[in-house]
Amino acid sequence: MSSWEDDDSAAAAAAAAAASTDVELLKRAWRNEKASPEILRFDSPLVSRVREQIQLLEETLDDFGESGVDDLVVSLYQMDLDRTLFLLRSYLRLRLQKIEKYMMHISKSEDLLSRLSQQEQRFAKSCTEMMEKHLEQSVLSKLPYGYDSVTRQSLSSTEDDMGIPFDLIIIPEPQLDTFVFCKTKSDVGAFQLDDIGEEVVDLVADDLYVLRYKSIKGLVESGQIDLI
Amino acid sequence: MYGRRASQLLKEVDSCEAGQLVPFNSDVFDQVIRECNEHNTQFQSLIRKMVEQNLDIETTRNDDHYGAAVHHLSLLRNKRCLMAYMYNRAEVIQSFRWKIGPVLPHEIQEKLHFSEKEYFKNHSAAIKSYMSEMDIDLTVDMVPPKDPYIQVRVLEDIGEVSLGDHSISLTKNSLHFLRRTDTEQFISQFWISDMELVRKHNQADSKQEW
Repeated sequence: MSSWEDDDSAAAAAAAAAASTDVELLKRAWRNEKASPEILRFDSPLVSRVREQIQLLEETLDDFGESGVDDLVVSLYQMDLDRTLFLLRSYLRLRLQKIEKYMMHISKSEDLLSRLSQQEQRFAKSCTEMMEKHLEQSVLSKLPYGYDSVTRQSLSSTEDDMGIPFDLIIIPEPQLDTFVFCKTKSDVGAFQLDDIGEEVVDLVADDLYVLRYKSIKGLVESGQIDLI
Repeated sequence: MYGRRASQLLKEVDSCEAGQLVPFNSDVFDQVIRECNEHNTQFQSLIRKMVEQNLDIETTRNDDHYGAAVHHLSLLRNKRCLMAYMYNRAEVIQSFRWKIGPVLPHEIQEKLHFSEKEYFKNHSAAIKSYMSEMDIDLTVDMVPPKDPYIQVRVLEDIGEVSLGDHSISLTKNSLHFLRRTDTEQFISQFWISDMELVRKHNQADSKQEW
């Protein structure tokens, strides 16, 4: 089946058009978010478009209920609605859970904060405050003076305490050099994986790769590659 | 040995199945806190001793200096262990909000430190305010929907429940065929169970027995 589809450019174009409906776009955002170790940029216009469509579907379903359309048709529409709703909820949930996990790391960085929606920023802020309060009243308040900071190990510790930057490792951060499975959408060409140019890989369209997230981060952000 | 008790706490967290929680070990926790304060007293007295001998604490490298360093580093290590203990527990606790709901059952409540209970409450409130700002309930639809209708068995007497346009009486052990979206709140509270999951579970069990 795929062989004639490949030959038929019209079919491929139609498939491409179908793949760019808002629900498909949300599915892609959801999949990327799921596979990426760090939080990605929140697509507010997309989410609000999907929410409008969900509302429209709900209204259509209500109309169906009143005008007595065949139950089978109704349940098909219901199924479609349920799936879209699941996708949206799961997407938002995934993001919240990532924020929960890396709240302190995210709150420290302007760049990461700017990737969140307004509501998510508020959530991140209150989460961080609560975690700090919790650690404060359970542990830190009982420690001697000078050792009671959340982010620094002790009053006297500087960037480098005994060769280890103590104040940095206490905050959990996403592992950016983990490997991810990804699929190219179009030809990228020769792509440099490291800083010095020793590792170069030729990324061709519609191929699967397992690469370090760190090196393809830019391609994910620009939408040239999908995580799977 | 310095720092052994603190590592005991972490071993406890580590030996626990992922996503589960062991009771808060307040005995060991308090002991470690006491150890920290003891380290600090020792540290301070060694520093004082050096000051009394008119030695420069920044540059002198005598026995007292290394003694103080050992106490300082032991304290730091204990602090890291305590923080890691609390933090890892807090991560599990906040995951309960997604898995169980805003009200924790008694057997989990018992395992928590008072500050942890408060944390859970505040954290749930933060999620709730996010959901009301976004006007969407994120605590339903935890698994991808397969069919709009599912078969469920009622585990506790719930009584008359109104679902959309009709009401239905959910008595214990009765079976119903309902809209999935209507049942989720009951499932997460363990009041009713999804028969498909129950069957899968039973199958897995019987396979294990073989």
